[in-house]
Amino acid sequence: MKFGRRAFLQFAAGAVGGTLLSPMPWRLADDTAIWSQNWSWRPSPERGPITTVPTVCTLCQGGCGIQARLVNGNRAIFLEGNPVHPVNAGGICPLGAAALQYLYAPYRIEQPMKQTRARGEAAGFQPISWSEALDDLVKRLARLKSEGTPGGVACITGSRWNSMDDLWARFFSAYGSPGLFKMPSHSDSLRATAKLALGKDSPLAFALENASYVLSFGAALVEGWGAPARMQAAFMRWQKNGAGKGAAKLVQVESRCSMSAAKADQWVPVVPGTEALLALGIAHVMVKENLYDADFVSRGVLGFEDWTDMQGKVRSGFKKIALSAAYAPDQVAARTGVDAAKIQGLAREFASTANAVAVWGGGQHNVPGNIYHEMSFFALNVLRGNLKSGGLVSLVPDVPFQPADDQTAASAEGGAPQVKLGSVPGTRVPLPGNGIYGFLDILTRGMIPPLEVLFVHDANPAYSLPENKIFKAALDKVGYVVSMSPYMDETAMTADLILPNHAAFEGFEDVVGLPGVPYAYYAVSRPILKPRKDTKHSGDVVLQLSKALGGNVAAALPWASYEEYLKNRVNALAASKRGAVADKKDIDLSRLQSSVSVSPNFKDGTDLWKKLTGGFCWYDVPVDVRSALDTDSGKIELAFRAIQGKGLNVEDDQVYLPHFKPLPPSGDEKEYPLLLLSYGMLSLSCENLANPPFMTKTLWDFVLKKNDLFVEVNPSTAGPLGMSEGSKAVLKTPQGEVAVRVHLSQAARPGAIYMPQGLGHTAYDEYIQGKGVNSNSVVEVQVDPITGMGTVWATRAQLRRA
Amino acid sequence: MAIDLDRCTGCMACSVACQAENNVSFRADESDKLRSITWLEVYHLQNGKEYPDYQFTYLPRPCMHCDSPHHSPCTFVCPVNATTRDEVSGIVNHIYPRCIGCRYCIVACPYHARDFNWWDPKWPKSMESMLSPEVSTRMRGVVEKCTFCHHRLLKARSKAYLDGIDPNEATYVPACAEACPTKAITFGNLLDPESEVAKLSKDPRAFRILAKLNTEPKVYYLSKHQWVHKLGDNSF
Repeated sequence: MKFGRRAFLQFAAGAVGGTLLSPMPWRLADDTAIWSQNWSWRPSPERGPITTVPTVCTLCQGGCGIQARLVNGNRAIFLEGNPVHPVNAGGICPLGAAALQYLYAPYRIEQPMKQTRARGEAAGFQPISWSEALDDLVKRLARLKSEGTPGGVACITGSRWNSMDDLWARFFSAYGSPGLFKMPSHSDSLRATAKLALGKDSPLAFALENASYVLSFGAALVEGWGAPARMQAAFMRWQKNGAGKGAAKLVQVESRCSMSAAKADQWVPVVPGTEALLALGIAHVMVKENLYDADFVSRGVLGFEDWTDMQGKVRSGFKKIALSAAYAPDQVAARTGVDAAKIQGLAREFASTANAVAVWGGGQHNVPGNIYHEMSFFALNVLRGNLKSGGLVSLVPDVPFQPADDQTAASAEGGAPQVKLGSVPGTRVPLPGNGIYGFLDILTRGMIPPLEVLFVHDANPAYSLPENKIFKAALDKVGYVVSMSPYMDETAMTADLILPNHAAFEGFEDVVGLPGVPYAYYAVSRPILKPRKDTKHSGDVVLQLSKALGGNVAAALPWASYEEYLKNRVNALAASKRGAVADKKDIDLSRLQSSVSVSPNFKDGTDLWKKLTGGFCWYDVPVDVRSALDTDSGKIELAFRAIQGKGLNVEDDQVYLPHFKPLPPSGDEKEYPLLLLSYGMLSLSCENLANPPFMTKTLWDFVLKKNDLFVEVNPSTAGPLGMSEGSKAVLKTPQGEVAVRVHLSQAARPGAIYMPQGLGHTAYDEYIQGKGVNSNSVVEVQVDPITGMGTVWATRAQLRRA
Repeated sequence: MAIDLDRCTGCMACSVACQAENNVSFRADESDKLRSITWLEVYHLQNGKEYPDYQFTYLPRPCMHCDSPHHSPCTFVCPVNATTRDEVSGIVNHIYPRCIGCRYCIVACPYHARDFNWWDPKWPKSMESMLSPEVSTRMRGVVEKCTFCHHRLLKARSKAYLDGIDPNEATYVPACAEACPTKAITFGNLLDPESEVAKLSKDPRAFRILAKLNTEPKVYYLSKHQWVHKLGDNSF
């Protein structure tokens, strides 16, 4: 049979028709559709019941109430603010919202590690067991103690607003070493100021929620300023009236148009570093025009009028200094760049508006400031009468943990010759504050014997200590570095032994007080998950070491676990019968008055522990400054009377009073014609936690582009240097040289370079490593001669085309 | 939704919470903003003046869920009905498996609210544990965008039904509004004149971005600065 054209067409039509009638094409189409949706290499999250667990965030010191969403009780998928918590009322900061990325970070350390090769070699880390690691450490510590050289052990910790702070202090007191140092913080300055003026060893606190006029000298208020969520809530309250008319006026004095400046009702641009001069200019106008609280100042302040020093010599008071020609509006205007009329206007407004408060600091790196400048800002609050009972400035209250008969504290002190923790041997500063820089300095220069053991806990000084090469240089004088970081950070990389701590939310933690906050606060953070790695809480490590060391150290730290220790503290807190638990919505802690005490709403320690681990916080009324005052004169002291007995006795009356005295940056002005300043953002983590990927995604492409960091420069500064937007440049300071790119911005003051903090990590993973430049590697630390604390205000710099 | 820019402090908590809630993927380098997937992107606006008269503000931009008659710009162009507007809730949704990756919607959206998956999303192995089972992960070749946390609405409706309440009365808050520490983001029913968000939309400070295009965005912004209102009419 001939297969003709017609037969072929018939067959083809039949085949098409037949196929269409069969289920095959439909099955195929369906399969294709299913196949196209079935991307097996794409993760499919495991399903299960979703539960919510309340706890408290411990990533920073802000004390926010949060709740975690768990799948099947073993997988944390989301963190959100706890709506009943009085600090954040349901809100959360970006770090909190991204916090689970730390828990599940690939750069977490699996188990204890020992460096078997040269320090810093990543390949040299070998896993060891906990018992092996701790045995080795105990041997070293026991040997040093028995040889009578416990001073060979030191610790750098980032903990200051939790009970680890106290635990370390007990350990070091009992062990007999003074070498307990904290990472620098602006609260060191607020503490030093309070110590000087009020005689109290607690940081100053500001009732910002109740202010209706906030004069901020470079304080990074909306960028965090101590307790970020609390500041956001305060800012919300200032904006409350709506319709663009705030309930409070915010005036930001700063050289750069930061977020705080942009959000302020008035931005007062100044020459970098002259904020304190402007404060003194305002004080001048207030004193001259009699705009200060004369009644309060004459009755409660020493050193405003002329005063008599310890030798009976009459010295001029702050009134005379403030009225001197150097602080007259014309003089101040010439140096700060703010019009004389504007200075007068600010002074009058500050003096006449009800509930006006001056705040300062914490913008550039979280470091202490120059004590003369801190006291100048503080003086404005004194003139305004803000330290009266119920005033806007007071102290961060202590949390009453200590029962009257504390045996353990006694044995902690009794063990060794009295040591003052954190003191720097041979120091000559009159009023020593945080001594970390002094200590690292004398260690590097060989003025004290090399350290045998250095613990680094809750800190990453190799990265986040401003002028971080100071830490790196000191490491050469340390025999054995023990890192307690849960993450493979820059400091862990240089360690000899890593004893990984739990990540946040894996163990019991607590929050003791909130920085800058006038009410008393305590919260317990309960774990939301079992530890994911073979880690141990650093508190448990300290307790185990103490137990193994025996003797008075074991007696001073008798608790079986850190959890038990916390329970013990909560029992003591309950026994004090003070404060209450905020277990209802809409409790307004800012309305608390020192004169109206709150009645406890908990039965005993067990009940309080139950409430605290349920995500609620404990609070108590603010401190009454008047009754807390502990100075020799019984008054608020504007004159630094105390320094006279401490080896500083000079003729110049100014030395004893707040005045403008910038610490000169090093380097030749001709070689380094510009000033480098750094800035922080709430959306870029800059201390011991590396920025999580979620937050890195939100960075502007004019802050970070590929791996290049951009510095902000005013076009009028960049133009003559031959630079345009995105130009590659070399930034050189006396501390080092780095490659950057230039972002032209009118937010930048001409003559200054502004660099973001928080980039330039060399450790961690591909999501953070090698991105940008670490500002801590180029800034310079100037040591305050009165307190010995390292300050950072500006670094001389040079910018040239690359 | 109403976003008070005077209250916004640019902390980015909204954007981060959005990413965590919606399993938004991230890559090692996110600095190329044309390739970066961000449902709630934040824009940087400045008044164009010189130091010291310079001012800036941040503007968080979710999907506008445009209310223009019959269609939103994106739903109008979608050839496969992958993106549609639910006329009851007003939410513009996107069904990933239906999407053929033609990206017409990306071109049509004047707000750049849509992003394309140029690569398969990839998480570090350990971070796969923090993916939410409530939102499906996407695949290479599809478009994605803000859903006003639609899954939260579904959850709220289910809960209302189980509680014996009319599901249409169910209320919820998207992750961004919940996270905002200054409560700058208000979410609710614009059609209910008594709702907070409807009142804010009538505020003298209120404006909408690119209102001139008559896309009828359902996101209102509030700012006391006239220059911000003006920039809201520029292209984004």
